[in-house]
Amino acid sequence: MVEWLRFNWLSIAVPVLVFFGVFFISLWLRRIVYNALERWLKERRAEIGKIAISVTKNPFLHWLLILGLYIALQVSVLAPQWKSLGGEILASIFIAYFGWILIRLSREFIALCLNKVKAPNQAITATTTITQIVIVVIGVLMLLELWGAPMVPIIIALITAIVVAILILRDVFPGMLFSFQLIQGRQIKSGDFIRLESGDEGYVEEITWRNTQIRTLDGKTIIIPNTKLVKTTVINYGKPVKKATEPFHFSTRLHLKELTGLKASNLSQLVSRLKEVPDAVIYYHTHSFLEEYQFLTPEPANDFALWVEEALGYEILAERLASIDTFEFPTIGALRQRIIGVMQDFLAGVTNEREAPQDNEFHFIKSIDVVLPTPYVAHDLREFIDILRKISINSLYFHIFEAKLRLQRGTNDFSMWLEDCLGEKELAEQIARLDPYNYTLENLRETVFQLCKKKL
Amino acid sequence: MRKAPAKASKVNIRDYEPIVGRSYIEELRMLADKLSGKTIQNINSTFVGGGVAEILSHLVPLLNQLGIDTRWHIITGETQFFEVTKKFHNALHGKIEHVSDNDFALFLETTEKNLSELEFPGDILFIHDPQPAALISKKKDIGGKWIWRCHIDISHPDSKVWQFLKQYIVNYDAVVFSSPNFVQELPIRQFFAPPSIDPLSDKNKELLPESIDAILAKYGLTRDKPMILQVSRFDRLKDPLGVIQAFELVRKNFACQLVLAGGTASDDPESQEVLEEVRERAGGNPDIHILSMPPESDIDINALQTAATIIMQKSLREGFALTITEALWKAKPVVASAVGGIPLQIRNKFTGLLCHSVEGAAYALRQLLANPDYGHWLGHNGREHVRQHFLITREIKDYLLMILALERNEDIIYL
Repeated sequence: MVEWLRFNWLSIAVPVLVFFGVFFISLWLRRIVYNALERWLKERRAEIGKIAISVTKNPFLHWLLILGLYIALQVSVLAPQWKSLGGEILASIFIAYFGWILIRLSREFIALCLNKVKAPNQAITATTTITQIVIVVIGVLMLLELWGAPMVPIIIALITAIVVAILILRDVFPGMLFSFQLIQGRQIKSGDFIRLESGDEGYVEEITWRNTQIRTLDGKTIIIPNTKLVKTTVINYGKPVKKATEPFHFSTRLHLKELTGLKASNLSQLVSRLKEVPDAVIYYHTHSFLEEYQFLTPEPANDFALWVEEALGYEILAERLASIDTFEFPTIGALRQRIIGVMQDFLAGVTNEREAPQDNEFHFIKSIDVVLPTPYVAHDLREFIDILRKISINSLYFHIFEAKLRLQRGTNDFSMWLEDCLGEKELAEQIARLDPYNYTLENLRETVFQLCKKKL
Repeated sequence: MRKAPAKASKVNIRDYEPIVGRSYIEELRMLADKLSGKTIQNINSTFVGGGVAEILSHLVPLLNQLGIDTRWHIITGETQFFEVTKKFHNALHGKIEHVSDNDFALFLETTEKNLSELEFPGDILFIHDPQPAALISKKKDIGGKWIWRCHIDISHPDSKVWQFLKQYIVNYDAVVFSSPNFVQELPIRQFFAPPSIDPLSDKNKELLPESIDAILAKYGLTRDKPMILQVSRFDRLKDPLGVIQAFELVRKNFACQLVLAGGTASDDPESQEVLEEVRERAGGNPDIHILSMPPESDIDINALQTAATIIMQKSLREGFALTITEALWKAKPVVASAVGGIPLQIRNKFTGLLCHSVEGAAYALRQLLANPDYGHWLGHNGREHVRQHFLITREIKDYLLMILALERNEDIIYL
């Protein structure tokens, strides 16, 4: 034995030295690489990197040992067939070991990512299982390749299985991919204001693995499956704009017509009644045409002008009454005085009063308003213009017409809020300057909308 | 007591959203929420036939869908009772009728009988038309808010009948009329709420072109010439002879056809006579088509109205004329007399053309035949006018508002 060692010590010493040489160099390299990696991760606080280091640090040492053994084997004096066999055994150990570590890594990564987006446990388990199967299959294929097994039929079988899986899951994949994109926050983020093709819109509250929750402007929560979201057109308006100091609560107003039982069949009676009827009657007769024919470009005529022309045939008086600009008057009382004044001036020049034909008397009607809060609340200009599109014309009418004249607020509610709560003085003035009596209600809505949109 | 048979309504309140807008239905829901827990009871004299039954058959299920418990009951009576109420009806319309003391006694006797048989679960009771009007006599025992919904024209009522009814009407909390012209001197609140049509009913829903063609073929009609149509009972007050005269004036310059479609009523012996007169006046003119239609011809009438080029309503007297509402809803240019409730629907030269004579009607027809674009513009405006004011959704809104208005005597009510 000693004799044999004396003649062959070099054949043993070289592989041993090579093994330790490779091992120590690798240990040094591992230290440098892992230290650098740990410093880099410390700055970025990347959870994924920490997991990768903790899982691979020890196995990396074992892989270096295998590498050292492999190189030592190759420099040894063993017969080529033994070297080959040894190499294949070491490679097989490495593949199996590496695969096992990959499985551990993937399990940790998947759990970390999917827990972040609150994916259900089933989704985590399914993803982990699929990943593990893929790694095992790839590992087995590599081992078979290494040991010279016939690969063609195996690969064909595998490709077939993958194609079948894709066909089965073809509807699910886009949703899954989109979910990933959503989770990464590339297209839509929490807090964004989005509008869907269906007309639903609101602020994104939460994006999960399966669905996206949005809060609509009327406070409802809509849960949209991500698979549905991927198939629809989504307009993302981005982050909210400046918040108002006080939100704007939209109200609406519905009205009922109450017959007062009072009527007039000539101009003197009309004037006399006008002096005594409540404000609600004056309001009704100066706004009913606008409301009844709000889809037409309105003639800003009041009912008095129409009646004196159609029933009494006083065209000149009708023109004078029609030309009274309701928008000028801050109160119904002032408007009433002007109407009465115009009629009395005309009456002074009339010698024989005309009587309205039977069934054409002027019937005094009172507007009874019921004001209701709507669920719509605007906290900023964007919400305001989006709600402006949704509210009924009754709501628009209330905030523009009724607020100024009937409720005597001096201006319309929109201008008040824009100036007082959003500091948008210029926009408030632009809207306040609009004479709403010269628009149809839909045109008025559009004009206010465009002014606000331009500002936004 | 008889209450409405429980039948599932095919129409859902949501079906009206594409027609009147989502926000309108939302507002109805908001109003209905404010009345949650209340029971509305409607009482009239029939479940089938006539405008009131038609409106209630749509209104009641829709109010229930809005979450308000709404019931519909009818009064019952012998044939003689309904003969008396028919006299009341005519007399309130201004027709001279002989109503005896016995008639009044029979009316009250039947009312008493119904009071003992009927249940009154309603917090708010809508009593429709004169037949059940005297049920109010037990208001103190029954309780609740009572509203008399008068669907007929009482602008010039027979004094005797009106004074008889008035002693009961004054005990109501409010009365509702279909036109401001019907207003009376009463110590109670009076509201104005015009009648309405249901856009989803057979008479007003959209029909397929092939269905329309099939119906036209059934009546031997074609579309090769512009069609002027009047739909109305064969009644002298609808002036069918005046319509033929106007058509003949127009036909001198324009190739067109006239269709007079309507029914005869078994309780109206005059209608058959008028139909014969009309046939005779038409004198075998191949361009005048006189169609006597059975009562259940809603889809056929819909098809005729949809196929017509111009729709006329040359009535001499008229309550409201829902046939005009139906025509306007189909975006048709309408030529109509300026009588009764017609001017509420037709603002001259904005939503249709009003006339006062045969010559005026002919002039309006010529204008429309020569200027189809003008007709389309009027028709479009007319449809929008109906959408805003004469659909059943508006009537529901008015009913709900009325109840709220009776609870608070203010001009502006904040809820």
